[in-house]
Amino acid sequence: MNSVTVSVNGEERTVEEVPPDLRLLDLLRWRLGLRGTKEGCRTGDCGACTVLLDGQSVLSCLLLAPEADRRGIVTVEGLSGSEAARKVQEAFAEAGAVQCGYCTPGFVLAVHSLLREGPPEGGPWTVEDLRADLGGNLCRCTGYYGILRALARILGEGSGTPREPSTFRRAGREG
Amino acid sequence: MTRSDALPKAMGAVPYAGDLELPGMLWAAYVTSPHAHARIRLLDPSPARKVPGVVDVLTAEDLPALLPDGFVEDPPLLAAEEVRFVGQPVAVVAAETLPAARQGARAVRVEYEPLPSFTDIESEFPRWPDREEMKGNPHVTGHVLARRGDFEAVAARGDLVHEETYRTGMVAQVALEPHACLAEVRGSDWHVITTTQTPFGIREDLADKLHLPAEHLRVEGTWVGGGFGGKNEAILEPHALLLAKKTGRPVRIGLSFREEFLWARSTQPAVFRMTSVVIDGRLVARRTRLLLDTGNSLPGRDFALGYSLGFTLGPYRLEAWEVEGYALRTHRPPFGPHRAPLAPQCAFAAEGHIDSLARRMGVDPVEFRRRHVWREGDLTPFGQKVPPFAAEAALREAQERIRSWRPQLPPHHGLGVAVGYWSTGTTAGGEADLFLGPGGLTVRQGEREIGNGTVVSGLVSVASQATGLPAEHITVDYHDTSRAPYDSGVWGSRTLSTLGFAVDKAARAILEELARRFHPPLPPRTEVRLAWEGGEVRVEGGGRSQPLLELLTPEERKDGGILRRGKHYGKGGSLDESVVVEGALYPYSDLTASVHLAHVAVDPETGAVQVIRYAAWQDAGKVFDVDGYRGQVEGGVVMGLGTALTEEGLLGPDGRLRNPGLLDYRIPTLAEVPPLEIVALEGFPGSGVGGAKGVGEPPIIPVPAAVANAVADATGHRVRELPLTPERVARALGLLGSPEGAASDPGRSRTP
Ligand code: FES
Ligand code: FES
Repeated sequence: MNSVTVSVNGEERTVEEVPPDLRLLDLLRWRLGLRGTKEGCRTGDCGACTVLLDGQSVLSCLLLAPEADRRGIVTVEGLSGSEAARKVQEAFAEAGAVQCGYCTPGFVLAVHSLLREGPPEGGPWTVEDLRADLGGNLCRCTGYYGILRALARILGEGSGTPREPSTFRRAGREG
Repeated sequence: MTRSDALPKAMGAVPYAGDLELPGMLWAAYVTSPHAHARIRLLDPSPARKVPGVVDVLTAEDLPALLPDGFVEDPPLLAAEEVRFVGQPVAVVAAETLPAARQGARAVRVEYEPLPSFTDIESEFPRWPDREEMKGNPHVTGHVLARRGDFEAVAARGDLVHEETYRTGMVAQVALEPHACLAEVRGSDWHVITTTQTPFGIREDLADKLHLPAEHLRVEGTWVGGGFGGKNEAILEPHALLLAKKTGRPVRIGLSFREEFLWARSTQPAVFRMTSVVIDGRLVARRTRLLLDTGNSLPGRDFALGYSLGFTLGPYRLEAWEVEGYALRTHRPPFGPHRAPLAPQCAFAAEGHIDSLARRMGVDPVEFRRRHVWREGDLTPFGQKVPPFAAEAALREAQERIRSWRPQLPPHHGLGVAVGYWSTGTTAGGEADLFLGPGGLTVRQGEREIGNGTVVSGLVSVASQATGLPAEHITVDYHDTSRAPYDSGVWGSRTLSTLGFAVDKAARAILEELARRFHPPLPPRTEVRLAWEGGEVRVEGGGRSQPLLELLTPEERKDGGILRRGKHYGKGGSLDESVVVEGALYPYSDLTASVHLAHVAVDPETGAVQVIRYAAWQDAGKVFDVDGYRGQVEGGVVMGLGTALTEEGLLGPDGRLRNPGLLDYRIPTLAEVPPLEIVALEGFPGSGVGGAKGVGEPPIIPVPAAVANAVADATGHRVRELPLTPERVARALGLLGSPEGAASDPGRSRTP
């Protein structure tokens, strides 16, 4: 068993006696106590465990802890200083994108990293671009409408959402 | 208003059960059955004990010593002689670390002798079984027969008798948060911290399963990462408590996703044989015959059967009807409730059937429904008087929308409508404490927020509307079952409507008490309200205003405020028992309608179905919290699209689930959700607080039927089995050679 040294949320941390098959998710949650990163499927299919590895969003359940040795990791706890990330978090909260919240840290990190990378064709991001790139993050509660509203909020006016993903209207007895 | 829990959740600052740790805790892992049915020839935990880090192993042998007062034997807490489903717990290993526990679980020696298994109800009962024959059948754990009028006699006179068979499979819960709990036993204090929709329900369940007095059990609910019905029952809690008792240390158990899929309470597979009779262009009679695979459940626990049969008749006026169903015990896991338990499946059969009937008659299916749908004051088949009910108004709106959508439809596109109805759980009661101090109002209760917002926003809005105090000065305070007032849980779309009443009553009790204490006295019956001013709560009434502090008794000042408890136990539903011939039907309470319209495109070469747009009308009663309401409809519709199009647990010939994971069991993703129009129809009040009706479950009910009806509209072919996979649709279109395959059985009609 070897030690693994990672820079987590800007802080250098060394963990001793790391079994070679320990997953990064478990290193973060149980050896470093960072449980904002959620454990879902553990098979790379839900996105709940998303973290940033050297700035790139990765599924921490699919990586072995030794693979992260000497690299930089950002978890949801490490976003507190970032204004850009805060904007994503606030948009999620305000747009009704958070119900049970179990998928939310993963979504926030995935969105935040996409926005930092910049849009695919150099032009401004559209909701549809982001939507296409977020297919690996699942949410069982919201039906994704709140998440689409949050994306539109983050990108602001002219982000190319053709219409509200959902409309809401109250009607009385006579329609 | 933004939910108070939303930002903390987005920051990863909200702990769920699986994030918690107790000092000195052990980790546990299950040893489960790989067989659908087998005898256990040998169970030897000793090799596991030699694995470094393993502390103890729990098997059925330990139970008598740990529970001298006995425990439930059937189904056993841990299998002893026989396993009856894949995934059934046989042993639980506790270790210092999770990897050690898992390694220990692999080391436990179990030898099985496989036995014949029964996992496919249709292979055993290809035809509708004879009642007499079924009497001695060991698979039958429940039988319900109910009727009004003479269905056969009406059918003999029918101008048209339409018969079809619909099939639905296993739908998994897939809450993103897997089950997890922590247990600790100190003397007679059996303490469990768990992710649940109902701490008090878990307490009752544990008291039952472990034969312990309820007061020795202390259940603490945590934040829940999605419930949907899967977190109502004590599944792992008994094992965690027993291991904690045995080892003397706290124990944590969490399920893997694989285990979730294998045994954490998926939906019962079902076969519905539907018959409808038309005379003079009117639907006059219906009959449903239902085979329900209830998995490893026991005789007398056939609630699903007695509760769902009514939904198969649909919300229509009928002269005669008959429902009959069998609950069949199979070698599949125990199934359980999943968001509006079985109602989407019942609606798929009932509403697909009525759609195909109308088309066969050459009548517009929506118009046909409008002619027969319940209106307020009608009697339901079970003899319940229909309360204010929005179905007809919603159908009218759907018709209008179809008029504007229909003319622009390209080829291979279609529109489908379905009606669902639901009985929200307004009969299950609850209590809440309200504590009002100068610093604000606190709602004290035992329910944790499960995600739908009823606790963090719903109860807070009720308290705010009842008292006048702005929501930001109202907090929710959670307690375990030893301190919280009783409530029956967050399920059945009941929370806001019933627990809301309890909050409302407690608020009124406080206001009335404060009104009496005004000095000089207020004119009789003057109402007071609360306000926030100058950094404290003030009480206003009769044009005057006083700081709360001045109205508190010295005792209350010492305690920091005034406390009142509100209780609400709703009226039971009504059921005309004379319709029941055998078995038990369960009465419905508040009736809530939802009418959905789906626009789909079907790929004529592959059979792939795409939902282009969607509209959902729902009987809202009164909307308390627009964002919460909207979120429930959005989430319900999309979950229903999963049921409609992709979600299906597939069994291999050995009775094992072939897709116990998200790679092969697909739930909807961000890429697939269609534009959605949500209409809340108010003005048909329910029996909840302020006229509210339950909202969490109704929006999933009509979805599979609406989508299937739209596919039939687009293609002229009907798929009568869920989900509507490309393969099934292609088969119905004749693309795979056999248009008469089981899934696309064309139905039978006879015109005498
Ligand atoms: S937990 Fe990593 S993708 Fe699901
Ligand atoms: S909010 Fe529950 S999974 Fe997304």
